[in-house]
Amino acid sequence: MYFELIIFLVMVAVFMIGCFKFKLPVGIAMVLAAISGSLVSGNGISVRHLIEGSFGYIDTILVIATAMIFMKVVEASGALHALSSVIINRFHKRPAILLIFLMLVVMFPGMITGSSTAAVLTAGSLVAPVFLMLGIPAVNTAAIIAVGGMMGMIAPPVNVPVMIIGSGIDMPYVGFGLPLLLMSVPIAIFTVLFLGHKYAHKTSYAELKENLDFDLDKKYGLLVYLPLFVVLSLMLLTKILPQYIPNLGLPLIFLLGSLIGIFTGERFNIFKKVKEAISDALPVLGILVGVGMFIQIMTLTGVRGLIVVNSISLPMALLYIGIAITIPLFGAISSYGSASVLGVPFILALLSQDQIITAGALSLIASLGDLMPPTALAGLFAAQVVGVDNYVQVLKKTAVPAIVINVAGIIFIIFANQLAGILF
Amino acid sequence: MITWIYRLIVLLVSIFVVVNLVSKEKIKDQANAVIVLIPLLLRLLMIK
Amino acid sequence: MKRKHISAIIILIGALIVTFYSGRMFLSMYQEEPIVTGPGVSSVVKLSTYFPGLEGSYGDTDVYIMKGREPGGSTLVLGGTHPNEPAAYIASVVLIENVVVKKGTLYVIPRSNRSAFTHNDPQEGAPQRFYIETPFGERWFRFGSRATNPVHQWPDPDVYIHAASGQQLSGSETRNLNRGYPGRADGTFTEQVCYAIRNMINTEGIDLSIDLHEASPEYPVINAIVAHERAMPIAADVAITMQSNEVNIGLEPSPVNLRGLTHRELGDSTETFAVLMESANASQGRLRGRTDEALVLSGVDPMYEKAADLGRLFVPYDENGHPLEVRVARHLFGIESFIISMSSYDGNKAMIVSEIPSYQNMVSRGVGAYLLPVE
Repeated sequence: MYFELIIFLVMVAVFMIGCFKFKLPVGIAMVLAAISGSLVSGNGISVRHLIEGSFGYIDTILVIATAMIFMKVVEASGALHALSSVIINRFHKRPAILLIFLMLVVMFPGMITGSSTAAVLTAGSLVAPVFLMLGIPAVNTAAIIAVGGMMGMIAPPVNVPVMIIGSGIDMPYVGFGLPLLLMSVPIAIFTVLFLGHKYAHKTSYAELKENLDFDLDKKYGLLVYLPLFVVLSLMLLTKILPQYIPNLGLPLIFLLGSLIGIFTGERFNIFKKVKEAISDALPVLGILVGVGMFIQIMTLTGVRGLIVVNSISLPMALLYIGIAITIPLFGAISSYGSASVLGVPFILALLSQDQIITAGALSLIASLGDLMPPTALAGLFAAQVVGVDNYVQVLKKTAVPAIVINVAGIIFIIFANQLAGILF
Repeated sequence: MITWIYRLIVLLVSIFVVVNLVSKEKIKDQANAVIVLIPLLLRLLMIK
Repeated sequence: MKRKHISAIIILIGALIVTFYSGRMFLSMYQEEPIVTGPGVSSVVKLSTYFPGLEGSYGDTDVYIMKGREPGGSTLVLGGTHPNEPAAYIASVVLIENVVVKKGTLYVIPRSNRSAFTHNDPQEGAPQRFYIETPFGERWFRFGSRATNPVHQWPDPDVYIHAASGQQLSGSETRNLNRGYPGRADGTFTEQVCYAIRNMINTEGIDLSIDLHEASPEYPVINAIVAHERAMPIAADVAITMQSNEVNIGLEPSPVNLRGLTHRELGDSTETFAVLMESANASQGRLRGRTDEALVLSGVDPMYEKAADLGRLFVPYDENGHPLEVRVARHLFGIESFIISMSSYDGNKAMIVSEIPSYQNMVSRGVGAYLLPVE
């Protein structure tokens, strides 16, 4: 048995005991697991490595913290409630079309930022009240938003996992538009109809109307929507006009939106809201820090190599199964990390397949990492957005879409060359 | 310029992490906050 | 004072101690290892000579100039484009400490991305330094990162758009020196370094530019030369020379659609013959096992042996690994062959360079035999 395997087992065991026996926050349990891996491997407590590992997510930490602030602000200012009332009033006669439209709205921030978290926390929180008013149960709503965010992350124009895989094999990000659209939009539509249509269909407008609130819309007019408008247009404009608008980055865009939100709707205590936002974000931020340390120690001790080499050691037929299992599992730590650590070796093992379709499909499968506990960023934030306490319930609801994503990804890889022949 | 703005953002987030840390009742929640604070401080000081 | 406030204060003090302690370790990466000026070095100038905009920034780096008595052709060797590829860096240091130029001029930039030497990539578990035994004692070198330190260029965009072509790459590539060429005077920190290097090539009329690299063993372009189309005749000659001496090396044309790299952009935007060389480095690979200084020096790695058995690698891999001296020897052999080949290709660009350690000598005697004592 490899010594690396023993180290890995110790790390997993310490994590489990910390998490379940001592009920520690997931982040702290990961830190302890990382420390024990470092100790067992003979590296001491290696403070430098532990802290360095946490820097892998420093930018993600800022995105999540500021997105959370923005969400609290638009919620408190009344923008969310006003907009959902207007949408329902307009589109209630055709529930299927409405659902699909809402799903595309959820995907939108993910499409232009490449971040499922950004999609769930912005557009997700925007449309969640609509789904709920339409009579879709909270858990289903959260599942829809989570998968919507993930498909937004996969859909063009920006797909970060593909870029990560591409930079590992020196493949420019060109020609991905159509394949990624084909991989993401049908699954998104399927998910929203599968999880929502039967409820939305039943609800009558008479019932709906009681929950609607047009006062905010009348009181503030379009002004109440300004923070949302500013955030979405800055996301878009920095992408389509990079030569005129400098790269602001998501954290700054979210804070600008939040700043505007203070003045464009209902009054609220901004200090209290920001404190609340960071408080809600802290468990996830702690997980990211812990995961960063965990990966650093896995790499340092050779555990990462052990996992990667064993994943690609399967014969061709089993390789597909290996992809379907290991990429989502490693995604439990991070979907971007999974794209880099496993996506690159897998695409190198699949050099005979069309590289564009294969990279897109691997990114599709990697997106499942956002549904894998303990991080499960998409599921976790979606649960938070709709107010479901236990995000595991949300994850259960995503089981069918998740299987569809995984199977579709594998089919895309198997038929990559045939598909490329049709598309290009 | 943009780097300075981002340092301010890090400062803002750090301050609220500390505010939360001080108001948490359980030590394990305080510990969770503090592991987030360390990388933020190092980036705020532009050390790492 | 409440109990929770006491514990908060204790925990915050603990955080400050960890921040201070780890911060000191991170800052230690700013200490530069000594490079000894060898007998052939006629002057050392700053890269900012060629682009004053770099002056005072951490992008400004030393250019070692070895000018021969006789005028002739000129060659630039870039080491440390990616400081996590140690053979590239060490090969350029060996040149500085040993080589004597009789005809023409040799320019060496050992720390092309000087900022990238000051940190390590998160989650890569890399050692900060490695040590090489010499007859005069130990010499130390930093093992840095692939990319510019975020402290010098931050934040990254979501997507890095290469200015000259509009090519999109993942956001962190914005700090990759070998994606930033031809560079921009008003661009990012990394683009400015690229711009300065390109200006230097244009100002000095450098005939041949060799960018030294290493690649992970699972990466297809490895133990290879990548050449711009104008440099192809020379590069083909070099590949034949190396092959006939039983040093296995591939030759690849610089892809037209992959932008921002030295072999594409320097070839397109200057008159230089632009080439790049790769050797096999396990310590930057995704399949590697335990990551430490020994792996950097020996390349011995059981995980890579297993991957080789599975047919997943693009270089042979056995229990002997790919030691640093062999990787450095390959680069030096390549550089010497390029200079000889260019000299016979165009008499006006002829250079005579001596004291480059031979492949055999470097492999048998080791890198330490070619490093000078530090005063």
